[in-house]
Amino acid sequence: MIRALHPQTLRLIALGLALLAVVLFFSTQIDNYLSPRMFNRISTSAAVVLPVAVGQAIVVITRNIDLSMGSIMGVVAYMVGEALVLWPGLNPALVILMAMGLGAIAGSINGILVAWGRVPSIIVTLGTLALFRTFLVEHGNARTITADALPRWLVDLPQMSLLSLGGLDLRVTVALALAACLIVGLALSRLRPARKFYAVGSNPDAALMAGINSARVVFLAFVISGALAGLGGFIFLAKFGNITVVAGMGFELKAVAAVVVGGVSIMGGSGTMLGVLIGTVLVDTIDNSLTRLPWLSEFWRDALLGILIMAAVTVDTLASRSLNRLKRRGGE
Amino acid sequence: MVPVLELRNVSKSFSATAALKDMNLSILPGEVHAIVGENGAGKSTLIKIMTGVHQPDTGEILVDGHARHLPSPQDAQAAGIAAIYQEPMVFPDLDVAENIFVSNRAKGTWMRWGELYTEADRIVQQLGVTLDVRRAASGLTLAEQQTVEIARALSLNVKILIMDEPTASLSAHEVARLLAIARALKERGVAVIYISHRLDEIFKVADRVTVIRDGQHISTRPIADVTEQGMVRDMVGRAIDAFAMKQAANPHGPVLLSVENLGRAGVFQGISFDLSQGEILCLAGLVGARRTDVALALFGIAPATEGRVTLAGQAVAITTPRQAMDLGIAYVSEDRRKLGLAMPMPIFANISLASLGKLLRAFGLIDRRAETAMAETYRNQLAIKSADVRAEVGKLSGGNQQKVMLAKWLETRPRVLIFDEPTRGIDVGAKAEVHNIIRDLARQGVAVLVISSDLPEVLALADRVLVMREGRQAGLVPIAQASQERIIGLAAGQGERSAA
Repeated sequence: MIRALHPQTLRLIALGLALLAVVLFFSTQIDNYLSPRMFNRISTSAAVVLPVAVGQAIVVITRNIDLSMGSIMGVVAYMVGEALVLWPGLNPALVILMAMGLGAIAGSINGILVAWGRVPSIIVTLGTLALFRTFLVEHGNARTITADALPRWLVDLPQMSLLSLGGLDLRVTVALALAACLIVGLALSRLRPARKFYAVGSNPDAALMAGINSARVVFLAFVISGALAGLGGFIFLAKFGNITVVAGMGFELKAVAAVVVGGVSIMGGSGTMLGVLIGTVLVDTIDNSLTRLPWLSEFWRDALLGILIMAAVTVDTLASRSLNRLKRRGGE
Repeated sequence: MVPVLELRNVSKSFSATAALKDMNLSILPGEVHAIVGENGAGKSTLIKIMTGVHQPDTGEILVDGHARHLPSPQDAQAAGIAAIYQEPMVFPDLDVAENIFVSNRAKGTWMRWGELYTEADRIVQQLGVTLDVRRAASGLTLAEQQTVEIARALSLNVKILIMDEPTASLSAHEVARLLAIARALKERGVAVIYISHRLDEIFKVADRVTVIRDGQHISTRPIADVTEQGMVRDMVGRAIDAFAMKQAANPHGPVLLSVENLGRAGVFQGISFDLSQGEILCLAGLVGARRTDVALALFGIAPATEGRVTLAGQAVAITTPRQAMDLGIAYVSEDRRKLGLAMPMPIFANISLASLGKLLRAFGLIDRRAETAMAETYRNQLAIKSADVRAEVGKLSGGNQQKVMLAKWLETRPRVLIFDEPTRGIDVGAKAEVHNIIRDLARQGVAVLVISSDLPEVLALADRVLVMREGRQAGLVPIAQASQERIIGLAAGQGERSAA
């Protein structure tokens, strides 16, 4: 039975079960956990992480990593906020495009260095993680963008719902994040050129021999991941309103956790956006629920994120190894 | 008939070494054209030039009679040239159909999965193979992966398919199927360039045979005009320069290492020989004959699963390198970069690495003065060209790196010393020096096993030659009866064609 299922499908089922178990556990620990309020709280929080995780997933599929996403988010959130303070009349669609454009520019710096400079992505993006943040600190000069300086529509945006079912809202920010995830997911499974992301991450040598321009594919992955970090930055700005120079800090860790927990292979070549979506929700549910546990210190949340990443990869390695063994035995 | 692919006076050098010299080659549409040559004759470079991986220094490439420039594999594909290799190039995470169409730009932007699978299925069936196109490529056998690669080439409508040693790792059954595929391709008008060491396959499948040697074109003949003897003569015909052939075996002492029916499941089997103190035994054979695996088994890296090893009269079962070292066996690897040396470390640290125990003083600290002295001794003895033993090993020439690696193992005072391709990639002068060192060691009573693909080297060093073919012992020849023709004949399975 197990053998008949595709390993990816199996992983998604396991992930869904894990999410269910986590929700059940917290519902016994926290009063009023299974309420519309909690749903809205977690969904709006996950909406900030989701675009970033989706971008991270594309990069990881090509066998790279983008550690600078949190900094890109911060820069974009701050600069878009500034622009709105200066020109409050800007068209909302234009603002979103601007956020993604700014992110794409930052991402292209990573992309050029990794794809054509041949510097390992972990080094490049560790460098730009610090560089973009320092740029923001210099640029921001310790000033904070406050919600009352921002246009009304943006401040109200997080409370706006597209539709509502018995108190469960589909907020606009959540819809935006889901749309990004859906579009990328469809593209990766249906768009022929997008399959090259998988090909490059799966076997770079074979990609070269098959006539695929790996450098261009990797560059594109970083540009898209930058743009999606920009979208994350915009949603961050809308959600919090008050933007300081530490905005977006630590989101790269959340994104990597969501991606890895969501079953994207850290060795590249495989992963689905449905997995990333569930991974994001799982990570963010845990993150949000832990703050409600009175007996747990605030500082343990980061540690738990770290443990979650390691556990996901370990379980994945062990599971796929024993699955392979099962298969081999079945084949004989 | 206009050749579908033609090379005119193509030359290619890598730094100082000329890999191809004025190579001429002409491939006709719908023929199976075999290319044969010894290891290092320039076949790989030739393939890389035809597939756009390397650019020729001089000369031109014509496709369908028109001069073409092939700056990348992409351009070669666009010109209708594709290649499959001994190690297939597939994407393990993608399924078979996706692997087939991965670089196919003619298929539009959106994936229509149903259509994709139907078409993949059709192509696979054309090859006369049954293969589930929805399976992930990671679970495929080598032969199936090759089929996927051939299908990929077919989907691109290639005119020329290069097969580089496609059968080196296949079973007899799979070989038969591959040859059938090659014939099927020919029927469809695809020109197949078939590169193989196995003469029997060439006689089964080829229409014409080109022999290359030392980067030069030697002959192209229709298969009907070719004899095995003639082909082998063309392959080895070079004047034997640089080293004198050894006339008779050196006198040597009692048997030290005795190997009986050694084997490792699925890799090699039935290897038997005695090695005496002071004797040099060479393991000859073609690439893929599994010679290195015998060495890895004796050194405990990939232990033998069958057979008996006796060392100095005692039966031993070697399962780890540590154990082999304690028994007095040393293995000088062919892969200096990966398995042999710590490139960023200085000479002295590399030399002392395998025998640090001797240098330990109080509190387990290394005696740096003794370590340096040890390195200095070898620098003088082996003439390692470096101003200082503190120099980084990575900065030395290949020949000097080889000497450093040798020093490391000599310091362990081995009784049995295994050399794997001891002179690969080093210049002629250093080669002669390494040969002298090996002869000196034998004279001092070390039992030496040398794996070499360089036939003149084998004939210059060996007291006896063990020839391997496809994981089996093809012959054990005393030096007095050895010749290049005899060794190549055994290694390529000459004379077995009529039997097969």
